[in-house]
Amino acid sequence: MPEVVVSIGPHHPALKEPVNFKIIADGEKIVRLELDLSYNHRGVEKAAEQRDFIRVLPLLERVCGICSHSHSTAFAQGIEEIMQIEIPPRARYIRTIIAELERMHSHLLWLGVAAHLIGFNTLFMWTWRDREAVQDTVEEMSGNRVHYNMNEIGGVRCDLTPAQVNAALARLPNLEERVNKYVDMVNYEETMLLRFRGVGRLSKEEALRYGTVGPTARASGIDYDTRKDDPYLAYADAPWNVVTDTNGDVYGRTRVRVWEIQESLRIVRYCLENLPEGAIRVPAPKNAPKGEILSRYEAPRGELAHFIRTNGTDRVERVDIRTPTLANWTSVAMCLVNQNLADIPVIVAAIDPCLSCTSRITLVENQTKKAGVISFDELIRRYRSRNPEEV
Amino acid sequence: MSVLGEMFENFLSRPITILYPKEKVPIPAAFRGRVAIADDKCIGCSKCSLVCPAQVITMIDGPRDVEFKGKNLARKKRPQVKLFKCIRCGLCERHCPTGAIVLKNELSCSGTDGEIVLTE
Repeated sequence: MPEVVVSIGPHHPALKEPVNFKIIADGEKIVRLELDLSYNHRGVEKAAEQRDFIRVLPLLERVCGICSHSHSTAFAQGIEEIMQIEIPPRARYIRTIIAELERMHSHLLWLGVAAHLIGFNTLFMWTWRDREAVQDTVEEMSGNRVHYNMNEIGGVRCDLTPAQVNAALARLPNLEERVNKYVDMVNYEETMLLRFRGVGRLSKEEALRYGTVGPTARASGIDYDTRKDDPYLAYADAPWNVVTDTNGDVYGRTRVRVWEIQESLRIVRYCLENLPEGAIRVPAPKNAPKGEILSRYEAPRGELAHFIRTNGTDRVERVDIRTPTLANWTSVAMCLVNQNLADIPVIVAAIDPCLSCTSRITLVENQTKKAGVISFDELIRRYRSRNPEEV
Repeated sequence: MSVLGEMFENFLSRPITILYPKEKVPIPAAFRGRVAIADDKCIGCSKCSLVCPAQVITMIDGPRDVEFKGKNLARKKRPQVKLFKCIRCGLCERHCPTGAIVLKNELSCSGTDGEIVLTE
């Protein structure tokens, strides 16, 4: 049977974000997948270079609507390390609470989307209903459901009142009960087992070779979590475990995510119950000294890295954002080989892609109008030929 | 079976959806909504317009004598906010030395004029 090319996107009713898939199929089986990204480049990195440290944090939050706190925390802790200031314990705990609430709402949202993609809309409605409790908690604490804007260089913007802490603690038992139910459901519900098990399998070796991060890597048995391996905020204090699974398929990734919600609940409960007293911020200098830093953060989708270079002024010289989706994308093409056409949506969704965060520029040759991928060494060579003084 | 059990429970319970225009959603006190400026507290220091990430606060003429930390000062300017471009980040409220600019917990700020400004 001849191979058929099915092209979907970049603009298609079934897609939530712009991406172009070229699926080369042999009957019902996928032979190969070609991905074309970066239809929504927004120039956030360049815009960040033009704003001072106070005004850059709300901008970086808007890199992603789901992991907004991740981006601003990764940036803030990088700048704080360059400035060599240590934030107060209370600020660390508040940042941790918001970060884990964000992880919970991200994973609950993902579980709903995954259920929706396999046609299990009942679960979609339930998870999104329970996600509201998390969203309400964050809204009460920070004043917004999506862009919390809790961070500032040197601490957090606003304090948590005892009433807010008690309201959050009062919501936890119900959430814990619901999440335990989802764990049961993911493990025993026939609808999910049939559609998730054995679909989009990625072995441990492949996951390592393709450099996957986050729940995608942990589902393949890689015991790697930035929160444990390079502890920041209050993760070294709180009792929790890194969740791994050996299945490596969509089923494994679902299990890792629901278990992670349970772990997040434990961290949130610990931080709320042991919230230290004291100041919520320390005064930060206006300018940062000259320096470079790679700030790592475990976002809900995986390890997020902000490379920051400062030059002694009140703004960054360069900020390079490596989102977890960028690290996980290449593994999707691998997962899809030899799978059924009908499983494409759920396999792509299994890495929890966030495409607009991932969009980067493409170099286009001026004369030939040719665009393509260039190697890292070639990129360095071109950069140096343009800026010979910075070798 | 757990799904079926819960489905039957849900058949007998009330819908969770809030019918918005009839029922009002409770808005938390800390909600960052519409910007409000108390002109009697404003000392015209321009901090809000300097920290605003969306650059929606401009300083316009508003001369008045004000008192700050026991000193009598002559204020020259006062802030003007373009509400439709405001991203409600709360940085102006955080950096205001007198608490003159606050984000109220008002949710609705609808209108058809793209340049609605707030001066008071």
